[in-house]
Amino acid sequence: MPSPASIWVASARAVFTKDWRCELRSRYALNAIALFAVTTLVVTSAALGPAGTNKTLAINVLPAMLWLILLFAAAAGLPRAFVHEEESHTAIALRLAAPPSALFVGKLAFGVSLLLGIEALVAPLYLAVMSLEVASPGQLVIALVAGGYGLAVGSVLIAALASQARGRSTLFSVLAFPVLMPLLLIAIELTRNAVAGDPAGVALPQLLLYDGSVTIAGLMLFPAVWNP
Amino acid sequence: MTRTISLGLRFGLWLVMAGCIWGAFFYAWSDPAFIGQSSRILFFHVPMAWTSFVAYFAAAVWSARYLWGGRRMRHDRAAAAAVECGVLFGVLATITGSLWARIEWGAYWNWDPRQTSIVVVLLFYGAYLALRSAMADREIRARISSVYALIALVVTPFFYFIVPRITESLHPEPVINAERKLDVDPRMFQVLIASALTYTVLFFWMHNLRARSQALVDATLDDPS
Repeated sequence: MPSPASIWVASARAVFTKDWRCELRSRYALNAIALFAVTTLVVTSAALGPAGTNKTLAINVLPAMLWLILLFAAAAGLPRAFVHEEESHTAIALRLAAPPSALFVGKLAFGVSLLLGIEALVAPLYLAVMSLEVASPGQLVIALVAGGYGLAVGSVLIAALASQARGRSTLFSVLAFPVLMPLLLIAIELTRNAVAGDPAGVALPQLLLYDGSVTIAGLMLFPAVWNP
Repeated sequence: MTRTISLGLRFGLWLVMAGCIWGAFFYAWSDPAFIGQSSRILFFHVPMAWTSFVAYFAAAVWSARYLWGGRRMRHDRAAAAAVECGVLFGVLATITGSLWARIEWGAYWNWDPRQTSIVVVLLFYGAYLALRSAMADREIRARISSVYALIALVVTPFFYFIVPRITESLHPEPVINAERKLDVDPRMFQVLIASALTYTVLFFWMHNLRARSQALVDATLDDPS
């Protein structure tokens, strides 16, 4: 007889692998996110040129642009996580198959891995086309990982809410923007410090606090969203 | 009997409200640190901001009671009514704040961290009301919007406590400031506290009216005859 903990882990892993398998068959979110990110990247680059050579622009403008690209890329693909369960009427089967917290963790792992993958594609490209020199690259990686996680956890939680309402895709942006705004402000601040070579300061603990509190809120509130 | 008491209470609230307005203009001093008489807006702006905070917190409490306290529709109606009142007081606090900013800082709006915070918090609860209107089924609407009100409780503290500290703010220190010492004239403090309490009572009265009228609307929808 397997223990409840191992059943929980197995369900979360099953949701994660199922989502990736569906994703690799349709490539809906992958294509949407990657193309969206690359298109905005091209537009920004064409408009600004190699802005990284200008120190003031490099510190004041470019970190904010990077996070805006990532925000809209996330908003283009992540809401799909729950909307397609409602559209293909598989939500009921999922309710039977997995406990809500395991489902949330599985969906979250999918969203985080998708977003971190996109960041691994977009961030080096962005640095290259903008000629942006980063003074402390390690800190930039920390900002991207912690910020990307926060972006994913906020988006997945809001996607679960929005999938229950009419006008899901418009509603997602309206609901997600205020939730993700503090995360973006803190992540931009941390990226700015990384580019300028300043110490991370309080921005890093604040970012981790955001990640932790939204994850805990998600685990507590998701069962109420998912189960009628 | 209860009618007389409730009439008396409402009349008392009007009297105290009038007393607060009189006190703001004729009893309290005007703070010489600010231009002209502009510090008097304190007695309206701070209670409004405070009341909107009370309203959002009350909405979160009623949402939690809805989710984990037997899923009673009256708790959901109470949460929605609290958000509506909170948005009203939040908009009034924003307007009074930007009037004061025009006099003291020279511009109605300059994205001071406090201004950013109040706008995003208003967007948050605006999104709550948009979310409610996007769901027709009453049970689903109550469940989903309760969750959103509780997410607000997790995220909005970042605006009140963290975002104002990332960049420099010109906003005057809160009355109960970090050193926990009261550096305000006693007369100003008396009027401010009286005004804050009166606005809080006003909020609960308005909230009660709104929740009751919504209960009547729901009952009519259930039984149109």
